[in-house]
Amino acid sequence: MPEQLSVFELIVNASLLVQLVMALLALASLVSWVMIFQRWVFLRRASIEVEDFEAHFWSGIDLRQFYGELEGEDATLNGIERIFVSGFREFTRLTDQSGADADAVMQGVQRAMRIALNREEARLETHLPFLATVGSTSPYVGLFGTVWGIMNSFRSLANMSQATLASVAPGISEALVATAMGLFAAIPAVIGYNRFSARVESLMKGYEAFADELTTILHRAAHATPAQSE
Amino acid sequence: MYWIRQYTYPLILAIGVHVLAGWLLVSGWAPQKQVSQSIKPPVVMASLVVFEPQVKPQRVAKPKPKAKPKPELKSANVPSAEVKVKPKVQPSSALDDAVRQRERLAEEAARARAEAARQARLARLSQLAQTAMEQVMADEVAQAQAGSVEQIAQSYRLGIYELVRQNWSRPPSARNGMSAKLLVELIPTGEVVSVSVVTSSGNVAFDRSAEQAVRRSRRFEVPLDNGVFEAHFRSFYFLFQPEDLLR
Repeated sequence: MPEQLSVFELIVNASLLVQLVMALLALASLVSWVMIFQRWVFLRRASIEVEDFEAHFWSGIDLRQFYGELEGEDATLNGIERIFVSGFREFTRLTDQSGADADAVMQGVQRAMRIALNREEARLETHLPFLATVGSTSPYVGLFGTVWGIMNSFRSLANMSQATLASVAPGISEALVATAMGLFAAIPAVIGYNRFSARVESLMKGYEAFADELTTILHRAAHATPAQSE
Repeated sequence: MYWIRQYTYPLILAIGVHVLAGWLLVSGWAPQKQVSQSIKPPVVMASLVVFEPQVKPQRVAKPKPKAKPKPELKSANVPSAEVKVKPKVQPSSALDDAVRQRERLAEEAARARAEAARQARLARLSQLAQTAMEQVMADEVAQAQAGSVEQIAQSYRLGIYELVRQNWSRPPSARNGMSAKLLVELIPTGEVVSVSVVTSSGNVAFDRSAEQAVRRSRRFEVPLDNGVFEAHFRSFYFLFQPEDLLR
C-alpha cells in the first residue's frame, strides 16, 4: 500500500541530518531513562536509610559505641551515616587533643559536617543536571530536525510543476517524527528532574536538621567535658 | 564493579521502555486499515435492500394457484348432484334390475369420467402453478441481476462524479441555476474519447470549465464487465450545476 507510511519507513527515508538528530534524541532518551531509574532506586534507598538511621540514633544508644560500629564499615557508608561519622570523628580527635577549647572543637565539628554535607549533596545530585539538559534542549533539537526536514520538503516542492498535498505530506510527516522524538525524550526527563530535585531537597533538609541536632548534642558534650575535667 | 551493578538494572529497564514505545508506535500506526475495511459494507447492505421488493411478487403469485383449485372443487360437486337426482328417478320407474344396473354402470362411467377430468385439471393446475413459480423465480433472478448491475453502475458513476467534481474549478462568473449538459464518450479502458456540450449554460466560461473538468480527469474507473460498460458508460450525459459545489 503506497499510502500507508510506517514510522520505520519515515525514519529510514529521512535525510541524513534529520536521521542524525533522531539518533541523538534516541540516545538522549535512552540515557535519561537509565538515569531516571538509577536515581529513583538511589534516592529511595537514601530515604529509607535516613529513616533507619534516625530510628537507630534516637533509640537511646550510646553514641561512642554507635560510632565505633559505623567506623568499622567506613568504606560503604552513605548519606546521613557519613555525616554523623565525620562529625563525631572530628569531635573525638579534637577533644582527645589536650588543650582544645570547647568553641574551637565545635567549630571544627561544624566544618567537618559541612564538608560531609556538601559531599552528600553532590552525590545525591549526580545526573540531575543531565536530566535538566535533556529536558530543556531536546525539544529544540527535535524542532531543529523538523524545521530542516520541512525546509527540504518545501524546496523539493518548488521544483515540481504540480504542487499537491501528497508531494509535501511525507516530507513533513517525516520531519515531525524528529519533534515527536524530542518531546518523547524531554517529557520524562523534565518530570524526573523535578521529582528528583524535590526529593534531593527534602533529603538535604533532613541531613541538615540532623547535622544541627548532632551539633547541639556535641556542643553540650564539649562544654560539659571541660567542666568535669576541671 | 559497583558501578556496573548500580547501572545494570536501570539500563535494562530503560531499554525495555524504549522497546515498548517502539513496538507501540509500529503496531499502533495503522488503525486506518481497519477503517478502510469497514467502509466496504455499504455495498453488501445495498444488495440486501434489493431482496426486499422480491418478496412481494412471491406473495402475489401464491394466491393464484390457491384460487384456481376452487373451481375444481365445484366441478367435483356436480357429479354428486347428478347422483342425487338419479335416486329420485329410480322409484318412479319399474322394479327393473336391468335398468338399475345400466343406470349404475352409467353412474360409474360418469364418476370415472369426472375423476379423470378432475385429475387432468389438477395436473394442468399444478403445471400452471409450477410455470408460474418458475416465471416468478426467473423474474427475481433477472431483477436481482438488473439491480446489481444498476448498483455497480451507480458506484462507478459516483466515482466518476467525485473525480470530475475534484477537477472542476468553477469560473468566477458561475451562478446558481446555471447548468450545462455534456455528452461524454469513453472507450472500455475508461479513457475519455470525446466531450461535447449538448446543452449550453449560456456562459462560455462555464461551459469550458465543465469541459475542462472532464478532460482533465482523462481516465475514469469503469466496470470491467463489457456489458455493463456498454450499457452505462460508453457514452453518457453529464450535468454540471454550480449548486453541486455549494453543498
